[in-house]
Amino acid sequence: MRRNRLRRLGSLAVGAVAAATLVGGCASSGSGSGSGSGSGPLVIGASVSLTGDFSDSGKAVQRGYQLWADTVNAQGGVLGRKVQLKIVNDASSPTQVVTNYQNLINKDHVDLTFGPFSTLLTIPASQVAHRYSYAFLAPAGGGPKVFQQNLDNFFFVQPAPTTQSGDVFANYVLSLPADQRPKTAAYAELDDPFSAPIAESIRQKFEAAGITTVYKQVYPSETADLSPVMAALVATKPDVIVGGTQSEDAYAQVKALVQLKYNPKMMYLSNGANSPLEFPDKVGAGNTEGIFSSADWFPGSTAAGSDDFTAAYTKKYGGTAQQIDDSSAEAYAVGQLIEAVAAKSHKVDNATIIKELHSGSWPTLLGDLSWSANGAPTGSFNLVQWQGGKLLPVYPSSIAQATPIAAKPAWGG
Amino acid sequence: MHALIQGLILGILTAGVYALMASGQTLIFGIMKVVNLAQGAMVILGAYLAYQLFTSWGIDPFLAIPITTGVMFFLGVAIELLFLRPLRRDEKSELSLLVTFAVALLLEGIMSVTWSTTVRSINTTYANSSWTVFGYQITLVRLWAFLLSLLALGLLFLLLNRTRLGRAVRASVQNPESARLLGVEAERVSAIGFGLGSATAAAAGSIYGLLYPFNSGSHYDLISRLLSIVILGGLGSIGGAVAGALIVSVSSAVVASTVSPIWSEMTFFVVLLLVLLVRPQGLFGTAARGSI
Repeated sequence: MRRNRLRRLGSLAVGAVAAATLVGGCASSGSGSGSGSGSGPLVIGASVSLTGDFSDSGKAVQRGYQLWADTVNAQGGVLGRKVQLKIVNDASSPTQVVTNYQNLINKDHVDLTFGPFSTLLTIPASQVAHRYSYAFLAPAGGGPKVFQQNLDNFFFVQPAPTTQSGDVFANYVLSLPADQRPKTAAYAELDDPFSAPIAESIRQKFEAAGITTVYKQVYPSETADLSPVMAALVATKPDVIVGGTQSEDAYAQVKALVQLKYNPKMMYLSNGANSPLEFPDKVGAGNTEGIFSSADWFPGSTAAGSDDFTAAYTKKYGGTAQQIDDSSAEAYAVGQLIEAVAAKSHKVDNATIIKELHSGSWPTLLGDLSWSANGAPTGSFNLVQWQGGKLLPVYPSSIAQATPIAAKPAWGG
Repeated sequence: MHALIQGLILGILTAGVYALMASGQTLIFGIMKVVNLAQGAMVILGAYLAYQLFTSWGIDPFLAIPITTGVMFFLGVAIELLFLRPLRRDEKSELSLLVTFAVALLLEGIMSVTWSTTVRSINTTYANSSWTVFGYQITLVRLWAFLLSLLALGLLFLLLNRTRLGRAVRASVQNPESARLLGVEAERVSAIGFGLGSATAAAAGSIYGLLYPFNSGSHYDLISRLLSIVILGGLGSIGGAVAGALIVSVSSAVVASTVSPIWSEMTFFVVLLLVLLVRPQGLFGTAARGSI
């Protein structure tokens, strides 16, 4: 399925990284980091997947970038300079994304660059930006390999690396009184760099706290039918089920459990369940109740600029706050950071952005963000839970809009 | 033990759907000696058509089957007329691999443009219903899918064995030269055969869409599985397609539920390898031209 193509794209990524390195090596090192300190419009270039495998999320990123540009321009721009976006399509290709950033920097001479969607594209793109000393703020692409590059110009604009997004669920469970905690846990994990590690991180915390693992299975992305896996899991009768999931497999896990008539006391899905629109549509609204997931932004968040973002988004694109894709909020936060640096330093050049973002924490609609030297954010995600047909933040208490329901209601109700 | 039996039940119920998909594949090979690499894409197109009928007009995917099979029959005939008939007869088997792969890519492109690459699924009110029998869960959708696949395969069997058209098809499979001498129009039979293969893909697509999420790229995984089934069962044999589907589905489900899903595919390929070592023509295939 789609993941087969991702694998194919993965091999292309290796070539793209090599190409980026080669081209960068031939170019004069350290040539022209966009100064961004001139007059005239502040030109920001970004490569976004408007077609191909990542096109849905890529378009959401584009909406976020564009909304921020419109909003800041309506307020007079950044340090009096109107923001002019130059967005080009990479067709979800790690080869094309390299070409795009090369062109944006060397041909179009953009002042700043914003990141693309996905780790696959962020790795080669961030290397191009690093070669030319451009700050690289990426709203998506938080896989471990991105941070292993140790690029000082890179900043992942989410609260934590993707693989740590489930830790908040473990923290919540372990915060419960001992008699309310689950005794046994089962783990069904998709074999990809964003899914299995999330569940594994939870498992380590649970086992350290004495929660027994009764079942653990990693399934390959090609697995067409998850029913046999879930049948084996159900046979162990776990108290809590942790799904290291993406989207389709998350829906498949829930559907299989409903069909097998097994209702665990708690259920957490790392991805898929945090989609306000898709999840109830795919599994049935009645089957969402009580399921936990992780999120960085949610409607009604009190974080900096969240209300303004929500109002501007629904005005520009229509729909409701619940229909806003997280990727749009993350892309918008990238722009917020540029604004914040400019407001503080009265400069908007790449060197200043890199230097400033490496010190202190910065308010965005995703919460206050700060980074370690390799661009990995140092915060944590929020725990969200389906309650009354809505996806609500429930933990930690500082952001909670509802009390978490510890005992999962029956399916369908 | 519970997981093993539950896996067995799931495997048997799923086998019917794969048998239906593979029967079209093997029928086309039997008549035309064409390995149709577009069969998976046609199944996904059938799933999209059922999805569209369900979301736009509320037509149940099971009830949509007569509509989708009709549409896809004519599409299959058109593909045969436009892309396969012009091929030179002595090179048809080889060139048809490229041509049908091109058709698969063409269909994938059309589906991507029409429905985007977002993963779709058909969620009926009964999608998650199941019956409990002796402590085991029998999913309603899978049971109906299994029964409907049996019905469709039965109709295909009757068509091939009880009608004039079926006799012409079988004659073309067994001895095309003699069939031609006896007045069977081989080209007409080929077009109808390809249409029938496409129609079975449409019926299977409706059911596939009920069971699994899909997008335009889903056909890649599907075609590899379908080819394995028909090779295991014997190219050109509908009975072999049914047997192959049973072996694939049951071994996958049982190994996935008792050992690991990582090993389920491997187990199947070990079985495939062993069968081919003993019977290179597959379980029900014949070394020479045979029967359907």
